Amino acid sequence: MTTTSPQATRKYDLGFARWVYENVDGGDRLALCMQCGTCSGSCPVGTQMDYGPRKLFMMIRAGMKDAVLSSNTLWNCVSCYNCVVRCPRQVPVTYILHDLAVVAVREGYKEAVESDNARFSAAFNFSAERYGRTDERIVTGKFYFSEGLSAGFKKGMDNMKIAWNMVKTKRMPLGLPHKIKGKGELKTILDKAREIEERHKGGGKGN
Amino acid sequence: MSDQQPRSQTILVVGGGISGVTAALEAAEAGYETVLLEAGPSLGGRVAQLNRYFPKLCHPTCGLEINYQRIRKNPRVKVFTMAQVDGVSGERGNYSVTVKTSPRYVNANCTACGACAEASETKVADPFDYGLGETTAAHLPHEMAFPMRYVIDPSVIGTPEAQKIKDACKYDAIDLEETEQTFDLQVGAIVWATGWRPYDPANLTNYNHASLPDVVNNVEMERLAAHDGPTGGRITRPSDGTEAKRVAMIQCAGSRDLNHLPYCSRICCLASMKHAAYVREQYADAQVDIYYIDIRAHDKLEAFYNKLKVDPQVSWIKSKPSAIEAGPDGRPVVKGENTITREIYAAPYDLVVLATGMEPSVAGEHLPVNTGQDEYSFVVPAQPAEEGVAAAGVASGPLDVSMSTQSATAAALKAIQAVAGPAR
Amino acid sequence: MEGKQTGVYLCSGCGIGEALDMDALAEVASKEFKLPVKQSECLCGDAGVKTISDDLENGEVNQVVVGACSPRVMADRFRFGSTQVVRANLREQVVWMQPAGEEDTQMLAADNIRMAATQSGKIAPPTPHEESVESSRVLVVGGGPAGLAAAREASGAGHEVLLVDKADQLGGNARGRTALTPHKPPYRGLQENDIESDVQAVENDNRITVKTGTTVTETSGMPGQYSVTLSGGAQEKVGAIVVATGWRAYDPSNLGHLGYGASPDVVTNVELEGMLSEGGARRRSDGNAPKSVAFIQCAGQRDHNHLPYCSSVCCAVTLKQALQLKKADPETMVYVVYDEMRTPGTAEEFYREAQEQGVIFIKGSVKNVGSDLQVTVDDHLLGEEVPMSGLDMVVLATGMVPNSTDPDQETPEYGAEQLDNDINPESPIKVAGYNNGEPEVPERPGTAPSGGPILNLQYRQGPHLPMLADGFADSHYICFPYETRRTGIYTCGPVRRPMDMAEAREDAAGAALKAVQAIHNASEGAAVHPRSGDLSFPRIGYSACTRCRRCTVECPFGAIDEDDQDYPLVNPTRCRRCGTCMGACPVRTISFDNYSVDMLSSMIKSVEIPDEFDEKPRILVMACENDAYPALDMAGINRAGLSPYVRIVPVRCLGSVSLLCISDALSVGYDGALLLGCKSGDDYQCHFVKGSAMAEERLSKVGETLKSMMLEAERVVQAEASIADSGRLPQVINDFVKEIDDLGPNPFKGF
Repeated sequence: MTTTSPQATRKYDLGFARWVYENVDGGDRLALCMQCGTCSGSCPVGTQMDYGPRKLFMMIRAGMKDAVLSSNTLWNCVSCYNCVVRCPRQVPVTYILHDLAVVAVREGYKEAVESDNARFSAAFNFSAERYGRTDERIVTGKFYFSEGLSAGFKKGMDNMKIAWNMVKTKRMPLGLPHKIKGKGELKTILDKAREIEERHKGGGKGN
Repeated sequence: MSDQQPRSQTILVVGGGISGVTAALEAAEAGYETVLLEAGPSLGGRVAQLNRYFPKLCHPTCGLEINYQRIRKNPRVKVFTMAQVDGVSGERGNYSVTVKTSPRYVNANCTACGACAEASETKVADPFDYGLGETTAAHLPHEMAFPMRYVIDPSVIGTPEAQKIKDACKYDAIDLEETEQTFDLQVGAIVWATGWRPYDPANLTNYNHASLPDVVNNVEMERLAAHDGPTGGRITRPSDGTEAKRVAMIQCAGSRDLNHLPYCSRICCLASMKHAAYVREQYADAQVDIYYIDIRAHDKLEAFYNKLKVDPQVSWIKSKPSAIEAGPDGRPVVKGENTITREIYAAPYDLVVLATGMEPSVAGEHLPVNTGQDEYSFVVPAQPAEEGVAAAGVASGPLDVSMSTQSATAAALKAIQAVAGPAR
Repeated sequence: MEGKQTGVYLCSGCGIGEALDMDALAEVASKEFKLPVKQSECLCGDAGVKTISDDLENGEVNQVVVGACSPRVMADRFRFGSTQVVRANLREQVVWMQPAGEEDTQMLAADNIRMAATQSGKIAPPTPHEESVESSRVLVVGGGPAGLAAAREASGAGHEVLLVDKADQLGGNARGRTALTPHKPPYRGLQENDIESDVQAVENDNRITVKTGTTVTETSGMPGQYSVTLSGGAQEKVGAIVVATGWRAYDPSNLGHLGYGASPDVVTNVELEGMLSEGGARRRSDGNAPKSVAFIQCAGQRDHNHLPYCSSVCCAVTLKQALQLKKADPETMVYVVYDEMRTPGTAEEFYREAQEQGVIFIKGSVKNVGSDLQVTVDDHLLGEEVPMSGLDMVVLATGMVPNSTDPDQETPEYGAEQLDNDINPESPIKVAGYNNGEPEVPERPGTAPSGGPILNLQYRQGPHLPMLADGFADSHYICFPYETRRTGIYTCGPVRRPMDMAEAREDAAGAALKAVQAIHNASEGAAVHPRSGDLSFPRIGYSACTRCRRCTVECPFGAIDEDDQDYPLVNPTRCRRCGTCMGACPVRTISFDNYSVDMLSSMIKSVEIPDEFDEKPRILVMACENDAYPALDMAGINRAGLSPYVRIVPVRCLGSVSLLCISDALSVGYDGALLLGCKSGDDYQCHFVKGSAMAEERLSKVGETLKSMMLEAERVVQAEASIADSGRLPQVINDFVKEIDDLGPNPFKGF
């Protein structure tokens, strides 16, 4: 089992589909999808997706790896779980989309790496790891500037009024970011998480 | 079993729907005594409540009438209504069966003259119409009822109205003191034909059957289209009685769903096509949309599908709708993804029909006979097999009428073998 | 007691007494018919019933007229052994439909009494035919799963069985099947093919005689006494026949459009099954195991250029074969290209099992299959045309063709008409008011089945078993799926409709029951379905017979043959007692002990016809007793009004109505006649299959007769009525009465 998902050589080459079944969280139930469309119909942001989950799943079967991993479907899921509770084949759609998003970033898909969600996640992690909490200034700052210097400034300026209001209402502190107690314990948790993730990449899906 | 034991040649059939009636008659017409038990007040079961059969669009009462004629002429068939099996002991050729009867409050003196109904004022939800209409507390189960005998709803027992009903009867046919009773039968074989009930649409919370009056299920649709139903056969919106011309049929409402009925109920696709034909027959400008995952029209029923497919006013949308919600005007709106066009739709309808599946009547119950049940409660042979017990019709699996009668005829033979065949 | 003595018993209960002058009614019977009359306030009560049974016991009467409720109710109360009981319907069709106390209501009731009294005078308790059952052995034709099961089931019920199979070995198509689709919980795993144990059980059963390598070359006779000639010349007597000749695969050479023949590695599901039974799937081109296989569903089925129907089992068979390929090598890529996945019932579990094992399902239509095995699919769910390349094998899931004929024998010229002129399940929906335009469904699917007859019936109506236009054996396929048009001969298994082995075995049990039942009833001289137990049968008055052959042609059940002098020869145990022969006979020389043209005509003529100045027209309604008559009863239960001028005569089937009854009615002064019967045609609802169609055909020629009587053709009309027409029927009748009213009185009135 490779860390990187295989590229299909032709339509319905099952290399990619099998990799997803075996490596993506919930992927083992993906085979049960009968393409009824309940998931896509249930999705509150379905119209904002390149493909609804249903079609995305068919594309996985068809071996359309690039189209799947570069689609915004992976990033637009809001985890409402409507699809999951309604799916007649009990496919955990939400888990699958989230895990595919991780795969897309890991494999360096431009649409994934550069997606708002990916950059926001990086900013979130940066703050969380460093301070044990999310500091609005650090998260937004890092997120805004991840698009480049001028874009960062522009976005920052655009939101200046909101920021100021938050400060006035004491929703955003000034001064140095607060740190949590027990950062060492947090580190242990995060290290364990990394270890699990590494194991996943190695092909196993164990806990 | 040893040949010395006394053996009963009588065959007991439990359930008076099309399968039970068929099993009892086929055995009786081969020369065997049969006893037919029906839990309700009249025979015919679910099919009596259907408006028409697919694919011929003929009326189930036609075949039932033939069967009732056969029963009328055949002294070998004994029918007990309001009767259920309470317990069974013994073995092939020698069963002792305890039968429990519920009070009907009307005895065999009833001439079906209707005086009791005239004296009855309280309206009760008509069970024959799945509660879509009302009837009087004293009523004939339906116009084709067999036996043709009235029944009194227990809700009025003990009220002055009950006495009034009794006084109206000239033939001493009302027995207000009737209670639950039991009696024993000695039989040699048992055919279990307890049939099905519609899957409860309340479980399909995203389809809002309970809160949206214009969302009905397929058995209710049969009553809406039936000449003796609550609307006299006019297909109208239950909310306001206006014509239902834009109608959606939702397939697999419960069936093929691991959260509900994991199996396919087999009949729903065809039933929905039949419903489409009902609507199209009534309204020249009607539009019917059928939402489906796979259309399952096996064998010659494919021809019925073909007939509907050429109708430009019947559309086929490959999609399992995700929700049915109230629109701004209160009309039900069907939402989902069209899997072929990938369009996300929200379509308003006058009437939405949920093609709910069939669930065994005995789902979740422990049966008094020695038989197996699969995880859905369909009756399967016991392990090891009990040769005196056979299942027939939908009790044994989701079947259409034709397959049910086939299964019932086979079960009748198994029963005959048990009572008359050589010991094995 | 010598001779016949009818007693008339009138009931005044249920409002009858309030609406009618009972004494006047009694006088009709006593004065006009000189019959003893007794009245009761509740005839169905114990006292009322006792009055009748006492009179019967004391020998005062031996036939009974009950003037009370409809014959459809209280049948058990008014059943006195074999005594003939005639019911005059005074309740549902008189007092519940007509205003109380009116002259017209009284006249209607009086006429119903007259008709009943007349009927009683014209009938006798039927004497059953005397043919004995010469054999209670069951012949089973076909030794596949259905035939083997039928043989075992009939034997299990204590009957001797003769099982013949064309092949040299029992087992049919099931022989060589590697595994079966699941039919036991949890409905997921492949099941062992247990055909061998069936074969063993049959061979070890001393009640079953097996003849392999044998066909039936000729069948004559009737239930209880068939004479069967087998290939090789042996003659056998049997009592009933089960036809379980099964199916054959659709000829794949017709499937060039799906690549068959273009590459040796395009195979059918049947061919793959053969490979699997010989150790595993192998490419015919190079002998290697395929690593990538596509199944194409509906290869010929659901296609009007090939097989119009769905073969029902192919989806599950594909799942089974896909799982077998997966089991042999889990790395094998298996695709199923389908239009609709049809895994009804618990087979849905099997579908899920295949999905879980990694079989890929592609909804689409196949555009092309290349000789390089590239399959081009119009992929409906991806919304694009997909070239599937790299396949090692393409499997065509072909369908079942019923062996309702023997394809190895030439199609004989005789009986060709029989093959080409039957019920077509594909015909457009004909529902009153269904505004469907002219649907573009082909008139007939495919071509008429060809091949030699299976039983080679020596019947006047041809050698074949009647079959539907799609080739499957005909039956009343919704309510009464075993009821063929050849009494005593029952089909089961895939010759009846496409089905899998588990279902075929159950079906065989059903057919075995019908065979056993037919023999039982033949031994009692009784009819089978739908007039079960009826002991009457058609008797032919040969002195009057003109050898016109109408009865032999029109009998829906092929019960009447012609002898060597062309006289009709009734085979009573084939007969279903519908009376179509009686209706067909132009010289009224066919009759039943308790049903005849004379009886019907006499009843019709017994009605009092007021003269034209009374302005009380009389309209004859002849109503099918199974559908139209109950519908009119229900109209009564609903207290619907009906013209008091109609006189309703129930008939066994509209097919039994002779035009002579109609001309008799018109000649005595009825102003019109309305025949109410069931729907005919491809979606027929007639329980005698062709009865109402025959009536229609006869009636289409009545115009000439009427013209010769100087009467308007509009005076005699046939209308379609169903049992659910209780709401509509009164209107239909009342409209007809109005039309007749507009035509004015029958000029024959008073002659």
